[in-house]
Amino acid sequence: MTGSTLAAPIVAQITAIEASLLAFVVLTALATALARDVLAAVIVFGAYSLGMAALYTFYRAPDVALTEAAISAGVTTVLLVLTLAKTTRIDHDVAFESVNLPAVGAVGLLFGGLLLTMGDVPAVGSPDAPVWSNPDVSQWYLSESYAQTGVENTVMAVLAAFRGFDTFGEAVVVFAGGIAALIVLHREVFA
Amino acid sequence: MSDARPEDDGDAEGAPPHRTRSRSVQLDSERRQGTPYTESQVIMPTVKIVAPFAFTYGLFITFHGSGSPGGGFQGGAIMAAVVFMIAFAFGIEATRDWLANTVVVALAVGGALAFAGIGLVPVARGGAFLQYDLLPIPVKYGLESVEIFGIAAIVSGVLMGLFFLLANGFNSDEGGFGDDDAESDDEERDEPDTPDAGRTTVADGGER
Repeated sequence: MTGSTLAAPIVAQITAIEASLLAFVVLTALATALARDVLAAVIVFGAYSLGMAALYTFYRAPDVALTEAAISAGVTTVLLVLTLAKTTRIDHDVAFESVNLPAVGAVGLLFGGLLLTMGDVPAVGSPDAPVWSNPDVSQWYLSESYAQTGVENTVMAVLAAFRGFDTFGEAVVVFAGGIAALIVLHREVFA
Repeated sequence: MSDARPEDDGDAEGAPPHRTRSRSVQLDSERRQGTPYTESQVIMPTVKIVAPFAFTYGLFITFHGSGSPGGGFQGGAIMAAVVFMIAFAFGIEATRDWLANTVVVALAVGGALAFAGIGLVPVARGGAFLQYDLLPIPVKYGLESVEIFGIAAIVSGVLMGLFFLLANGFNSDEGGFGDDDAESDDEERDEPDTPDAGRTTVADGGER
């Protein structure tokens, strides 16, 4: 994050805490997909997002982790719970959906296909990874962002300065999303 | 909306069990709106203590986006989440009255206008859109002003607006889940009293 140190990140070893976080994320994702009760699914999904946020911090993406924690674990969960409060709650005898075998087969095929490509993916934190070693993109931003903007956080320099027009578009999309919600719900005031 | 109910009754035989028993009776939210907001002795003091710190954290993330992780998007979301927290602790309607519609709209609209305005100042000076070195302030503060007055304001305003919108649901005028449904349900509810009462307790048991 500090523009001064440009040394390549250390090649990460899978630690016990990282492995348990990965297992937690996979398990909560499965539980979200299979939970019979929608409220339970929403709550487990919030836990999944929190696990992802912790995982992003481990992979040294604190900006993404903050977004995941604030938006996905916090705001989205609140909005989903608020929406669920408007519906009827159904009592379920079983905690989990029955597994749809064709769906499992399709997902398994896709997963296996993706797994075949894993051999060519560079290791996490590898200094030879194209995303890190590319002199025209990553290295250029890392060396130029502080010199050109005076901002230590490269992510913010890219978002607000080098890709400022894209960010303007994104901000307008968020704004338009709020307006669209007003229109869909036939309202003229937010509060 | 009144022609929707015969359909539901017709469905009743073929429909899965949860639809037959739950569709024609009142919604959880309707019942809940009838009951007054109850103050929780645990949630209210917790929120009272946590909210100032969380709000300060949101401000910190917004204002220090240039030197540490974060920025307007994350900070704005955290500040909006503080409002959600207050609304859950002290009642959504009370928070809605406290935080007037003008504040929410001013944040969202003002943020969009501020972002566009900051971007257009360099254009007026003969440069490109968002060309920060043509702003009368250092480049770093140009970036931060976009994050603070633009992105953070838009995100917090829109998220608060979505929260209050969803808490309200459909407006009844155009016939959604609003009053039309509630009234017709009320008429129906008066006749079969006993099954309704039985259902309510069942639903309550599932609820808590």
